[in-house]
Amino acid sequence: MPDAPSSAPSPTAAEDVALQSALAAAHTAVWGYAVVGAALPLEQREPVTAARQAHRDLRDQLTGLLTSRGVEPVGAEGGYALPFPVLSAVDAAVLAVTLEDGTSSAWAWVLDQATEVGTRELGVAALTAAELRAVGWRTAADRTPVTTPFPGLPAS
Amino acid sequence: MSGPLSSSPAAGAFSRRSLLLGTLAGAAALASGCTSEPGGTADAVTPAQVDRLAAQVQVQEALVAAYDRALATGPELAAAATGLAGQARAQLDRLRAAAPGATSSAPPATGTPASTTSTTTTTTDAPPDAAGAREWLRTRVTGAADAHAAACPAFTGGRAALLGSISAGLRGQAGALA
Repeated sequence: MPDAPSSAPSPTAAEDVALQSALAAAHTAVWGYAVVGAALPLEQREPVTAARQAHRDLRDQLTGLLTSRGVEPVGAEGGYALPFPVLSAVDAAVLAVTLEDGTSSAWAWVLDQATEVGTRELGVAALTAAELRAVGWRTAADRTPVTTPFPGLPAS
Repeated sequence: MSGPLSSSPAAGAFSRRSLLLGTLAGAAALASGCTSEPGGTADAVTPAQVDRLAAQVQVQEALVAAYDRALATGPELAAAATGLAGQARAQLDRLRAAAPGATSSAPPATGTPASTTSTTTTTTDAPPDAAGAREWLRTRVTGAADAHAAACPAFTGGRAALLGSISAGLRGQAGALA
């Protein structure tokens, strides 16, 4: 008689949930950077293009990782709402900061939940990349300080 | 462009609140570097983790000392980097809180992740002069970020998140100092 299917949860179940959040953040950032770019003059769009591609790459990497584990990756939403009107270059930079801060929060949570060393390595790299982009956008938005001691974590 | 872009009320509303908080179910616990394990058991710090975290505390102590030395070289750098120094101290405070008993100010021990980078500051290191202090400091910040990033994957739970976050924050500092 064959064994009954195991009902034990996957050892990466909690990690997978966190990775889904990171994937959702990547979908949001890919969409959001289109708005950022549209609000900037052509000559200022190079960092937007780079950032959007970086989020696309993360999205694809996460999709592949989750799929390889038999987890259905979350898709992009049918639509999103902006948190505020984006009417100027400064608005665009603030939106980019919001996107990157959200990405950092998602990856900090991945680090917290990760059971695989490789996932934590990915998490550190993704969190670092998001903070580096955020520093540039905080500068563009005239925000001070431009750095934060704990990207992705609550202030206290 | 202030309203929702989708006519569907069920569409995922992107707002700062939803994006930032939706991924932070454990935000409060993350703040202290002490969370639960994914399986629900307590994220108790093990003796091995205490030793490894102590090494990262030493890395951060050395970085804070490097900031003090660099800022003393001249008012220009002091004006530009005092805030960064404060952030480095805040990072040290939180690392210490996550590493009970890890208060040594000795240089990182050989063989620990903290010593895997040649740019990690030691307590005998000093900036060359005012002109070179900024680059000297940036190199130390990068070295500390490298050390925390290298150590992060060996930890679990909130301590992994804390080390990864501090490493990312220091990368941002290095960028600001460039």
